[in-house]
Amino acid sequence: MSAAVTIERLTRTYGERVVIDDLDLMIQRGEFTALLGESGCGKTTLLRAIAGLDPVDGGQIARSGRPAVVFQEHRLLPWYSLWRNVALGLPDETGKPLAEAALGEVGLGDRLEEWPRNLSGGQAQRVALARALVQQPHLLLLDEPFASLDALTRIRMHGLVKQLVARYQPGVLLVTHDVDEAIALANRALIMRDGHIVAEYIVSRDANASRAHPDAERLREVLLEQLGVPAFA
Amino acid sequence: MPDGMIAPISPPRIAPLAPSRRIVASNAPHGIVPWLAPLALLAIWEAFARFGGLPPHILPAPSKVLTTAAKLIASGQLLQDLGVSLMRASLGFAIGGSIGFALGTAVGFSRLAEAVLDRSIQMIRAIPFLAVLPLVIVWLGIGEAAKIFLVSLGVAFPIYINTVLGIRQVDPKLLELGRVTGLSNRQLIRHIVLPGALPSILAGVRYALATAWLALVVAETIAANSGIGFMAMDAREFLRTDVIVLAIVIYAGIGVLADSIARFLERWLLAWHANYAHGSGRS
Repeated sequence: MSAAVTIERLTRTYGERVVIDDLDLMIQRGEFTALLGESGCGKTTLLRAIAGLDPVDGGQIARSGRPAVVFQEHRLLPWYSLWRNVALGLPDETGKPLAEAALGEVGLGDRLEEWPRNLSGGQAQRVALARALVQQPHLLLLDEPFASLDALTRIRMHGLVKQLVARYQPGVLLVTHDVDEAIALANRALIMRDGHIVAEYIVSRDANASRAHPDAERLREVLLEQLGVPAFA
Repeated sequence: MPDGMIAPISPPRIAPLAPSRRIVASNAPHGIVPWLAPLALLAIWEAFARFGGLPPHILPAPSKVLTTAAKLIASGQLLQDLGVSLMRASLGFAIGGSIGFALGTAVGFSRLAEAVLDRSIQMIRAIPFLAVLPLVIVWLGIGEAAKIFLVSLGVAFPIYINTVLGIRQVDPKLLELGRVTGLSNRQLIRHIVLPGALPSILAGVRYALATAWLALVVAETIAANSGIGFMAMDAREFLRTDVIVLAIVIYAGIGVLADSIARFLERWLLAWHANYAHGSGRS
């Protein structure tokens, strides 16, 4: 295993407000980390800093290659067919076969020439996933990618993501509000509050596999309490 | 029903819906109906010209205009004048369009270019471009250059404004996506900025086509020795209203044609866009 990203003493401020405060974090390749926290705790800011989208005010981020990002919105280019969207940024010769293969993996191999506007939300997000994975990133950043999907589609997406991550073995950082999502997908769950990571939990394979498993139930309670929503208030 | 038993609920019986006539009717083309009124007007016009005492030097009969057209086509004069007019329009459109697009891209991408250029361009734009016609005649006479200049002037501004607008309106989230995908600046422009600006640019093209045509009509009517506008003004000297009406009809026809070309470009280049695609997308 090698580190997909190593963050040391990262600081990010907006004016007077310190959004990320002296934060350390390492994510290994093949490791699935979920980052939970209330709105405004700095988790999306952290993801954007790791993605290189926002400048940082202090500290260091050492990435292994360029991370791929899946955003909450699919961000497909409406003027390109699905395969061109997935092949974006790839060399012309190799782009099409790689894009076709990636779309096949997310179950859209028969819709290569489709326009994005003809897709449902879940399908569009699958294309966004294919576009991220076709880059073979060492680090995959997921910024609440399933938040705008309906509950059933979200569960199907969880299965797909698990399968693809197992195959490609990137390090994953998933920013989410959804405790069940974190338990279903991640190897470890981090709680972020006021710019710090305040707690870290290991998620067992049993908890990944079944939301009814005692491990999952216990962890759900603990995580909800950490997020300020105790199960039996 | 005993407790704990889950019984399938029998599906409610739904009567099949009778196909609605109204829906069929609204989808069907109206066929000839929209053309009835214009045709009736033409017929009334024809009747007045022949039997109603409408003097031919005021307004000739439509049939007379038609035969005049046939004669002028046969003599080759009409096609020659039409060719001259179309050449002026397309040359002026190409020159003005290129200048407008080049300036628009510069200002759209660069704040520096905006600071240097935009104010001046907006000030010149405030002048109705037809108002400079006398000056253009003084500078360039009534030769080809004057007409092409005027058309270019009319075309450059709509293209400029819509190019700037289109570039500025490109979704910043897509630009961000391009950056995390590792696109170079050139690739960003090619894959994201220009396609994103295209709907606006094409709207500018469509508007500019109308302006180009207007500029040409004015330029040819006031100062020319060839072209459709000249044909009309020359005919005025001899009270040939049939030729004048023919020129007007040709101007209208070419205006409609130019607009259809612009619409075709939109449908073709913006097939991905829900507002322009007719019918469902390809699958």
